[in-house]
Amino acid sequence: MTTRKPGDAFSIQRFLERWGVVVAFVLLFAASCWNQGFDFLNAENIRALLNSNAPVGILAVGMTLVIISAGIDLSVGSMVVLSAAVGLTAVNWLIGKEWSEASAVWIGVGTTLLVGLAAGSLNGALVVVGRIAPFIATLGGLAAYRSMALAIAEAGEIRSQSDTIFRRFGREGIPLAWEVPGVEGAESTFRGLLNSGGKPLTLPYSIIVFFFVAIVAQWFLSRSRFGRHLIAVGANETAARYAGISVEWVRFRVYAVMGLLAGLAGFLQASRMNSVSTSGLGVAAELDAIAAVVIGGTSLRGGFGRVWGTVLGVLILGMITNMLTISGVSPYWQGAVKGAVIVLAVLVQRGSRA
Amino acid sequence: MAPDLGSKSDLTVVFQPVQDAPRATSADDGPTPSWLGGGDISGSGALLEARAVTVEYPGVRALDRVTIAFRAGEIHAVVGENGAGKSTLMKVLSGSVRPTIGEVLLAGRSTDFGQPADALRAGIAMVHQELNLVPTLDVAENVTLGCEPRRAFGLAVDRAAQRRRAGELLALLGSDLDLSREAGQLSVAEAQFVEIAKCLASEARVVIFDEPTAVLGEQEASRLLARMRALRDEGRAVVFISHHLEEVVAVADRVSVLRDGALVQEYVRADGLLRDSAGVAVDEHSLAGAMVGRALGSIYPEKGAARDGVAALRLRGFGALGRSSGIDLEVRRGEIVGLAGLVGAGRTETAEAIVGLRASTGAVELDGGVRAFSGVKDAMRAGVVYVSEDRKGRGLHVTLSSIANMTLPSLDRHARLGGARIDESGERAVARRWIDAFAIRCARPSAPISSLSGGNQQKFALARWLETQPRVLIIDEPTRGVDVGAKAEIYRIIADLAVKGLACVVISSELPELIGLSHRVLVMREGRLVGEVDREGLAAANCEERIVRMASGLSEMKERTA
Repeated sequence: MTTRKPGDAFSIQRFLERWGVVVAFVLLFAASCWNQGFDFLNAENIRALLNSNAPVGILAVGMTLVIISAGIDLSVGSMVVLSAAVGLTAVNWLIGKEWSEASAVWIGVGTTLLVGLAAGSLNGALVVVGRIAPFIATLGGLAAYRSMALAIAEAGEIRSQSDTIFRRFGREGIPLAWEVPGVEGAESTFRGLLNSGGKPLTLPYSIIVFFFVAIVAQWFLSRSRFGRHLIAVGANETAARYAGISVEWVRFRVYAVMGLLAGLAGFLQASRMNSVSTSGLGVAAELDAIAAVVIGGTSLRGGFGRVWGTVLGVLILGMITNMLTISGVSPYWQGAVKGAVIVLAVLVQRGSRA
Repeated sequence: MAPDLGSKSDLTVVFQPVQDAPRATSADDGPTPSWLGGGDISGSGALLEARAVTVEYPGVRALDRVTIAFRAGEIHAVVGENGAGKSTLMKVLSGSVRPTIGEVLLAGRSTDFGQPADALRAGIAMVHQELNLVPTLDVAENVTLGCEPRRAFGLAVDRAAQRRRAGELLALLGSDLDLSREAGQLSVAEAQFVEIAKCLASEARVVIFDEPTAVLGEQEASRLLARMRALRDEGRAVVFISHHLEEVVAVADRVSVLRDGALVQEYVRADGLLRDSAGVAVDEHSLAGAMVGRALGSIYPEKGAARDGVAALRLRGFGALGRSSGIDLEVRRGEIVGLAGLVGAGRTETAEAIVGLRASTGAVELDGGVRAFSGVKDAMRAGVVYVSEDRKGRGLHVTLSSIANMTLPSLDRHARLGGARIDESGERAVARRWIDAFAIRCARPSAPISSLSGGNQQKFALARWLETQPRVLIIDEPTRGVDVGAKAEIYRIIADLAVKGLACVVISSELPELIGLSHRVLVMREGRLVGEVDREGLAAANCEERIVRMASGLSEMKERTA
C-alpha cells in the first residue's frame, strides 16, 4: 500500500520517506566496514550481530503489526520474562518429577508460548472488550507481567535443570557445509574468505526463527486477508467498521499474536542463557522494538507499515551498538546516540505518514 | 476605532437582567451602547459585512459574489436549502474559511481572520450546529470557558463566581441545569443551551446562531428566541440560520435568501411584517418558494416501473435508538424511495441502524422474514447494504488503493488458503470490471483512492457494495461533493439498478435529486416520518415546496391554523 500519489515528480523528500531506511542501512553497513575493516564482514561477527538481535527482532516484527493497527504494546518485555520464567519453571518442575529431559523441555516450550499467547490475549481483551486505550492497557501489562515473573523467582534467577537439550535452541544451529563437489579444499577456502577462524560455521536457530517470523509476517501483512483488515482498521477504524470488518476481532488477534511472539522471544533468550533473570530479561525491550519499527518507516498513526523495514531497523540499531562498542564509546552514551537516530529517522520520514 | 472588548466593564452589561439592558430596536434610531466602542458603526449601518465574497472549492462554487451586511441591533436571518451556501458563509464570517475573492469588514474595517480564534477575539461568536463542549468539564466550567472569573491575583479560578455567572446565564435562557454535571452527560438539547450560554458569556458584538433550535423542543425554542431578541436589544448584531421558517418570520428583522451560493432575495421588517423590496408582505410559504425557485434539469433519467409484490425491505415501528422512532417504511423490488428531511432529522442514523451500525428499536423485515442485523457484514450477507454519506471518513479508506477499497467488503471471495492469501489478480479483474462498467476515470487502480475526483471515488464507494450483489441498496447523499457531470452518471446508475430489480432507498438533502430520481419521497422530521409524496405528487409543480414545508414542520402549522 503506497501513499505516493501518481504523477508526483521525484523528490528527495519523498524518496527518503520511502527508502530512507535502506539508505541508512547501506550507509551504516559501509561505515562499519570502513571502520572495522574486514573484521566486520567476518561471518562470525555478522552471525553474532543477527543472533543477539533475533529476540528483539521477533518482538519488533510483532510490534510492527500492532502499530499498523494503530495500537501499541508496551508490555512486550514483561511478557518475554513472564513466559520465559513460567516455561523454565515448568521444565525444572518436570525434571524434578523424573520426567525425561526431552519431554520436559518440549512441554516447557509449549508452556512458554502459551503463557505469551495468554498474556497477549489478555491485552487484546482489555483493549477490545474493556475499551481501554492500548497505551494504558499494555502499560498495566508492563507492570503486572514483570511483577508476576519477579514473584515466581523472588526477583532472582531461574537456572535451567536441563543440562543439554534446553540450551540448544538458543546456542546451536544448522551446520553450514561449504563443500563444493569435485573441488578439493573448497571448504577451507570459503572459511578463509569468511574468516570464521576455523570453527564449524552454523546458522543459529534464533536467526532462522527470526527470519521465518519476519517473512511470514510480511506475507500476512501484504498478501493475506488478515493483513488487509489490519491495515484497514489502522488507517480508519470507523471506515473499516462501515466496510463490514469486525474491528474488535482484528485488534484482539494482533495483540494475541504479539503475545505469542513475545513468548517465542522469551524462549530463545532463556535458552541462550540457559536461565532466566527475572529482574533483567526483557527490560526496556518495548523501547528497542518500537524504535526499530519507527526507524523501519512504519507510521505510528497506523494504517501503513512494512515488516522488512523493521528488520532493517533492528539491524541498524544492532550495528550502531556494535560500532559504538568497538569504537570504545561508553555504554552509557550509547543510549543517547540511539535516541538521536530514532528522532532523526522520524524527522526524515515525516511526511504524509509519520 | 479599536473597541476594547476585553475590559471588565463590558462584561457586566451582559449579565444585567433583560429589562435593564439598553434598548435599541434598530441601530439607526437607538443610541449605540458605549460598550460597543461607540463611533461610526451605526452610521454605515453595518457592523459586520461581507463584500462580493466568493468561495470556490475544487469543482464547486460554494458562494458566488455574496454581499450582505449585518447591522447592530438587528436579527438577520439567512435561509436557504441545504447546500445553498449558508454554512460556507458563516464559516467565512467566523474565520474558519477564507474567501477566494472578496472581503469581510468589521465595523467598516477590512479583516482577515486566519482562524476562528481571531474572529472570536474581534467579537464574533458562533453557536455551532455541532456542539463544541469539553465533555470532561462540568456545565459551569464550559459556560465560562476562556473567560473564567479569577481571584488571587489571577492565579486561581474563582469557582464561586464561576458558578454564579454560569447560573445567571443559564437562568436567562430559562434553564435550570445542574451546574456540576459533566458536559459529556448532557442531552443534545441541554448541551445546546450550554453552548448558547457560553456564547453569551463572551462579550461578542456579533452572535451567529447556526440552527440553534434544531434540537430544542417548542418551549425551549421560544425561550431561546426571546433571548435572541434581548441580545438584539442590547445592541448586538444577531445572525440567525434556521430551517424553521416560522421562527424566521416571527423573529427576524431582516431575511436574506441564499440559493446555489448566490443571494437571491432580501426581506426587511417594516410595520411589523417582513416585506420584499416592493413592500409586499411575505410569510413562511413565500420564503420557502424563494428558497427553492429552481427548475429541474434533465440530468435525471426516466423512472422505471416499480414491481409489485412483497416488499424487499420493510420497517415496522423501526428507529435508531435515541435518534428516530416509529418508522414504517417499505421498499419494493425495482423501486427507488427517497428519504428527505433536514440535517439532523435522523435519516442517516435510521439507515445505520438498519444495517446494524447502531442500536435499534422495532423490526426489519427482509422479503417477509423478520431480521435483526448484528453488523454491516451480517446485513451484507442478507443482501442489505448501506453506502455512507461520509465518503472520506466512513465510506472509503482514502489512504488505501482503489483496488483495496473496491474489494474490502467482498474480500472473503478473493481469499484463498483460509484467508492466508488473497487472489490479487482476481481483485484486479473485479476492479477493472467496475471501472469499465461505471466509466470510472482511474489510471492506476493500485494508487491511493484519494487521487481520484469525488465523482470517481463515489462510483467506487457504490461499486464495492454492488459487488456483494445486494437486494436492497441504501445510499446516503449519493452525489455529495460530486460535480454535475458525474452526478448525472450516478443518477443513471441508480436508475438502472432499480430497473434490474434492486430495491433502493436514497437519502439526500438535495430535493431536486430526490424528486428527479425517486418513485416516492418520504419526509422525516425530528426522528419521525411526517409525510409522503407519491409519484403523482412528485410530478406536481409545488412538490419541492411541499417537502420543504413538511421537513420544517410547516404543514402541521398550516393544518393547525386552518
